[in-house]
Amino acid sequence: MRIQDYYEFIARVRIVSGHDVLEKIPDELKKIGATKPLIVTDKGVSGVGLVDVLKNALGEKITIAKIVDDVPQDSDIRIVQRLAKEYREVGCDCLIALGGGSVLDTAKGINIMVSEGVNDLMKFTGKGVVKKALKPLIAIPTTAGTGSEMTQAAVIEDHEKKLKKLFVSPFISPDIAVLDSRMTLTLPTAITAATAMDAMAHAVEAYTCLGKNPMSDTCALTAIKLIRENLLTVMKSPDDKNGRLALANAATLAGMAFSNSLPGVVHSLGHSVGSVCGVPHGVCMAILLPYGLEYNLHKNEQLTAELLLPLGGEEEFVKTPKHLRAERTIYFIRKLNQDLHDVSDHRHARFFKEVLDREGKRMVPRERLPEIAQAALGDGTVIYNPEDLDLDDFLMIIEASWEGVPLDRSRIKKG
Amino acid sequence: MGDYREVQAGSKPFKRAYIAVMLWFVGRAIQAAARVDKAVREEFEKLPEGFTFSLGVQPHGPYMIVGKNQKGRVKYLGWKPESKVVDLRMAIKNIEAALLLFTFQESTAISICRDRIDFDGDLPPALTVIRAIGIVEVYLLPKLISKLAIKRYPVWSFGRKYLGRIRIYFHSILGY
Amino acid sequence: MYKPESYEFFCPIKFSSGSRALENIPFELEALSARKPLIITDKNVTRRGLVRKMITAFKDSGVTIGIFDGIPDVPDMQLVTELSNIYRNGEHDAIIALGCGSIVDVAKVVNIAVSYNVKILRDLAGDNLMAHPLGPFVLVPTLTGTGYETSKFTFIEDLTFSSYFLMPDLVVIDSRTVRSESLQTTVATAMVALAHAAEAYTGPGKNPITDAYAYAAIQYVKDNLITVLTKPRNKEGRLALVNAAGMAGCAFSNMKPGLIHILGEAISAMFHIASGICMGILLPYGLEYTIQKNGYHTYDLLLPLSGFDEYAGTAENLKAEKAVNIMYEMQQDLYKVTGKKIPRTLEEANVPKYMVNDIAEKVFKDGAREFGIDDYRMVLEHAWEGKPMAHS
Ligand SMILES: [Fe+2]
Repeated sequence: MRIQDYYEFIARVRIVSGHDVLEKIPDELKKIGATKPLIVTDKGVSGVGLVDVLKNALGEKITIAKIVDDVPQDSDIRIVQRLAKEYREVGCDCLIALGGGSVLDTAKGINIMVSEGVNDLMKFTGKGVVKKALKPLIAIPTTAGTGSEMTQAAVIEDHEKKLKKLFVSPFISPDIAVLDSRMTLTLPTAITAATAMDAMAHAVEAYTCLGKNPMSDTCALTAIKLIRENLLTVMKSPDDKNGRLALANAATLAGMAFSNSLPGVVHSLGHSVGSVCGVPHGVCMAILLPYGLEYNLHKNEQLTAELLLPLGGEEEFVKTPKHLRAERTIYFIRKLNQDLHDVSDHRHARFFKEVLDREGKRMVPRERLPEIAQAALGDGTVIYNPEDLDLDDFLMIIEASWEGVPLDRSRIKKG
Repeated sequence: MGDYREVQAGSKPFKRAYIAVMLWFVGRAIQAAARVDKAVREEFEKLPEGFTFSLGVQPHGPYMIVGKNQKGRVKYLGWKPESKVVDLRMAIKNIEAALLLFTFQESTAISICRDRIDFDGDLPPALTVIRAIGIVEVYLLPKLISKLAIKRYPVWSFGRKYLGRIRIYFHSILGY
Repeated sequence: MYKPESYEFFCPIKFSSGSRALENIPFELEALSARKPLIITDKNVTRRGLVRKMITAFKDSGVTIGIFDGIPDVPDMQLVTELSNIYRNGEHDAIIALGCGSIVDVAKVVNIAVSYNVKILRDLAGDNLMAHPLGPFVLVPTLTGTGYETSKFTFIEDLTFSSYFLMPDLVVIDSRTVRSESLQTTVATAMVALAHAAEAYTGPGKNPITDAYAYAAIQYVKDNLITVLTKPRNKEGRLALVNAAGMAGCAFSNMKPGLIHILGEAISAMFHIASGICMGILLPYGLEYTIQKNGYHTYDLLLPLSGFDEYAGTAENLKAEKAVNIMYEMQQDLYKVTGKKIPRTLEEANVPKYMVNDIAEKVFKDGAREFGIDDYRMVLEHAWEGKPMAHS
């Protein structure tokens, strides 16, 4: 493998992984000198009893200053402000985030506010604006997907003003990520599939986009392999503790990869479908991933071909002639989506017109596709995509992924 | 103690001067392109009135500031960020990184991917600015060089490319 | 199929590698709230013009830097005290180690001394005895690594310190500071990295994160060492080797030392051979031993060593053996391209045969009880003679 002309890599998060590792948190807190955590979580997590598992694990050794479990699906500036206030009032000295991406983003936002001692979080939007160490933050992911326990970024929305603010700095990432298999054991299969495909998208895009580097590459390869080897088995037997832990590890590895090699078009469009139509992020990732690879294929044939090894396995890799491997990689992603569709009673969507809300209504109406394409133009991940995209390019991809037909590759503009 | 000494690292006046000239020129070229080119104009139309951004080198400059005035006109606003309220600050981490960028050895995208530029502000306007700079580069540079500076060299009509290029050079130098 | 089990991992290092990397240091120091760094290095590094390169990198930053270039090969506590005083009197707030080996050892100990107090240094020697993070520490390595630079370890006189706080905050690898070195030094640097990484990858503490660091290190050594030796102008290759050394140090900090490491260090100390050269000799034998002990980890080693095609094309039960064979071939190649300067066996390294037993006993007596004395002896005997263990 060639070494990059220039790269940076950082993964300062301490990782503690295993089947019963929540119990190690008191010692970890002691090491950092923290005693009074604010536990941030959401109703879904507390509803299935995970907060109780955490409380038991912490036992007598730690006085939990406060537990708040009303973080919404999309982090919002108002909840961040309210919780920062509570943090100060109760006199906490560290944070434990128990949940998925939104909970962790919220905790990261709170941490910026309480550590920097400000009442206006928005002063810190941008890249590299937070410049000093923050309070200790322990992340306990309850979905094996977002990988945000490893990232240096937080997205906080202002729903009232319809703004989405991005915060990026190495100081934002958590101090410790605790991967305990008990935390994902109860995750419903449809969400398991979607979140795992989010991790898959992180790994694949980290490997194929412009920020790639030797470390993000190896993390990505392992993550993809772990997902291929464990996702379908976990879908069929959700109580498989080892499989669950493997998926959690895959998500963390993928987080490590994409935190250092940012994702491209799959995420640009995925974020927009999420913000315009409210489709869960993982669902968007699963659908868009093959299209992103197709779109970039003329720039990325070699890299896409390499992914056949972790995705298809050794036998498949050997048996496929070199010039067909890239297409085969894309085929395997589509096949994985199909398999997930089959084992999930068709709840795992393969294309956008298949995505339904609770009432069975289409979440992505066809007439909103131009709006989605427009929003994608303003998403930062475009920069990291190997090929450029204008409005028409985005529209072409989103239309194909809505319909469920492969991209017409003759329409891709190749400078 | 003979092995210890203190050194005041000097400066790089020539590199700084080069970057200062480039920033000055690019700033004025953006102003010109916003008048001449439809795509650049449309990019800037998305930005709010009065929006101002700066591009410069950490820690001591040089900088350029460009903003939209009340009438929606894009204006080059000089090289002094101190006296101005800037909505989006793009800061190249050091002069060598700026040099890589402005000698077109690294494209804007690659420079960002290599973490050589920091942003203070929102992303969508930053992307607008980056796209506008990309178009300006196509105008200002010969194809051979601008192909390195952008991801995908656009297919433009003869008129847009060559007449546009002459007009933008003309406006940039004269400054209106 | 390998599944991650219970493990912990930590590596605080930010890597910045490649063109114009040095120029990032002022910016990164600012992020670490440091304004006046002390550069610690030796005369050799100064002579090669690297200090000048560093000063140039600070141009335009407005930063004043202190430079101390008097680190000897065998430093002592006296020097640490002297440097701590320089650090305090010069009002420095960060340390930059420019170079490898004893330079980095001293830099780390000075960092403890100025963050705590020089008088209590001895009390902090040992495992994890430091309670809080130390001052900002930047490493700018050359191609002269001993395997410990990016690790959590440091050594001075008879003391060993071990703490994650000793790992650098930032490692800056710039093609301009990665000059070509003597054949022995280059091989030693690369092979200690390869040995540490291979043991991390196949050892009992294996986990996916350590693997990531190890994988990159293994691959970079395998793909670049011979090229760098035969084409000294190959900048990219040298850059890759120093990257490998850095990553292997991170992996090494998150594992228990393996058999190759333990024996390699012992032989190095007893016979004054660079530890990397010793580990290079022991590498295939140690791996063969590991295959016999816990083979299931070892087959994967073929992937970073051989690349995708060969890995995928090799039957599962032959992968481990093939990986070891690549190591043997590498030894032969090193011997050839260096004009027989790099020994393939302990015999060629002038280790007397009758001492093999002594080495095994000494290692065991010194407290390395992870492996039995017979295991040590067996590996040493094979490595002395140059006889693969596969069929014994
Ligand atoms: Fe994602």
